[in-house]
Amino acid sequence: MLTFITSILSNPAIILGIIAAVGLIALRKSVSDIIKGTLKVLLGFIILQQGSNIIVSTLIPFSTMFTKAFHLTGIVAEDNSLVAAVQTLLGRETAFILIFSFIVNLLIARTTRWKYIFLTGHMMFSFAGTMAITLDQMGITGWTAIAIGSVIQGICMVLFPAISQPFVRKVTGNDQVAFGFWGSSWISLSGWLGGLVGNKEKSTEDIKVPKSIDFLKDMSVLMGLVMIAIFIVTTAFIDSATMTEITKGQNAYQFSIMTALTFVAGVLVLLQGVRMFLSEIIPAFKGIGEKIVPGAKPALDVPVFYSFAPVAVTLGFIAAMVGGLIVTFISGFLPVVVLPSVIGLFFMGGAAGVFGNATGGSRGAIFAGFFLGFSWSLLVALAYPLVDMSKYGVQGLWFASPDAIIVVIIMRLVGMIFGVGA
Amino acid sequence: MKVVTVCGMGFGTSLMLLMEIQDMAAKHGIKVDGEAVDLGSAKGKNCDLMVASSEIAGELQEESVQVISIDNLLSKTEIQDKVLPVLQAIIAGKDK
Repeated sequence: MLTFITSILSNPAIILGIIAAVGLIALRKSVSDIIKGTLKVLLGFIILQQGSNIIVSTLIPFSTMFTKAFHLTGIVAEDNSLVAAVQTLLGRETAFILIFSFIVNLLIARTTRWKYIFLTGHMMFSFAGTMAITLDQMGITGWTAIAIGSVIQGICMVLFPAISQPFVRKVTGNDQVAFGFWGSSWISLSGWLGGLVGNKEKSTEDIKVPKSIDFLKDMSVLMGLVMIAIFIVTTAFIDSATMTEITKGQNAYQFSIMTALTFVAGVLVLLQGVRMFLSEIIPAFKGIGEKIVPGAKPALDVPVFYSFAPVAVTLGFIAAMVGGLIVTFISGFLPVVVLPSVIGLFFMGGAAGVFGNATGGSRGAIFAGFFLGFSWSLLVALAYPLVDMSKYGVQGLWFASPDAIIVVIIMRLVGMIFGVGA
Repeated sequence: MKVVTVCGMGFGTSLMLLMEIQDMAAKHGIKVDGEAVDLGSAKGKNCDLMVASSEIAGELQEESVQVISIDNLLSKTEIQDKVLPVLQAIIAGKDK
């Protein structure tokens, strides 16, 4: 019996399914809603893991190709894929940290004057996984890891929105919502720097940007194009004998394009899974949060800010791409080559554009986007040696969220001072 | 009544938008089933209405259902003013 319970409680899909069921029962939903919600959480999590398998299967040949071509290690910074890939090993820790950190968040919001409730679900999931991985690397596992990880994450879920709130007020002109996204500190910093170089009277929104580039806002298209480019360039630097070995006789470029697109398909499958389990859990979190914390300020995902300056989003993203590419090309002397990671560059670069525009107009937006792309990619490259993902059989992926990386750096430093996991 | 909300990734902003619409509709006695999706999977979704932020809505022009574009996702008033009349019109149309 005990082994049966242990086995159930080590499966993240089942943990989240049970929690969803309990939440839905507590909210007095109908039986059909409870069955639907619980099943969707379970299915969503299984889809997520299958998506992760697809991604990992394409990154294994890619890592070999990249090393053969450039004698360097290349990574894509993408949190959800990374965290999904360790779910078979650290799934229990991740699922419990995800839930308990929300309770810590509610306690802090209830008892202090920081009324922020973090509601960006995929970010809660990725941060929980980041905590599980970092603590595991420091030799801390099981319930100790769950306790420490939940407290740290719960604090961060209030702390980071609080840090960025003055900048959010500047962008939105009110104090109703907060920034719940693990790039908030870096975006706010980029926006502030944009204000130093620009003039906020000259807004980006007076600039005409061609509508023809709007199709790039479809993430699958943008990521597909960038991944094809990365694979083809890499292939071009490998001699044909080695390439034949990797492709098992297929045409090298056909193999590259199809593997690149399979990677993107994997990300799409994974995100569909994330979508399914979050759309059942987050409304419950929101309902409970609003009941327990009167006057709660929801901390929301980054795109809510885009509508304040849509042109700045485009400019910020393009500038961030340029900044990120520069780091990719000069990364020969860095610990790792950070490949253009479009999800991070698009969402954070776009937001940096909006924040830069609020403080420094069009010049501020472009500078903020560029600074974000450049400094973020650099941060990922420099922090890379702190967490060794090869232990979990994951190649070619690493953490993306700057706020989370800052916390990982602090945790590793504190660990070194106290001799934990050094 | 089925409403699809759309954003770039399909789980942050669109989910918030969907919950906002469901709350607002419930206050007016309308039950809204919905789904939050990303731009890529929105195309051809079977629903009565789509709602998206203004910078995304332009990419959904070829949909067979009406697409409402929201400029300020944080404004409950804008969401209510734009979405509620359409919901009521759809219900009126179905009753005929």
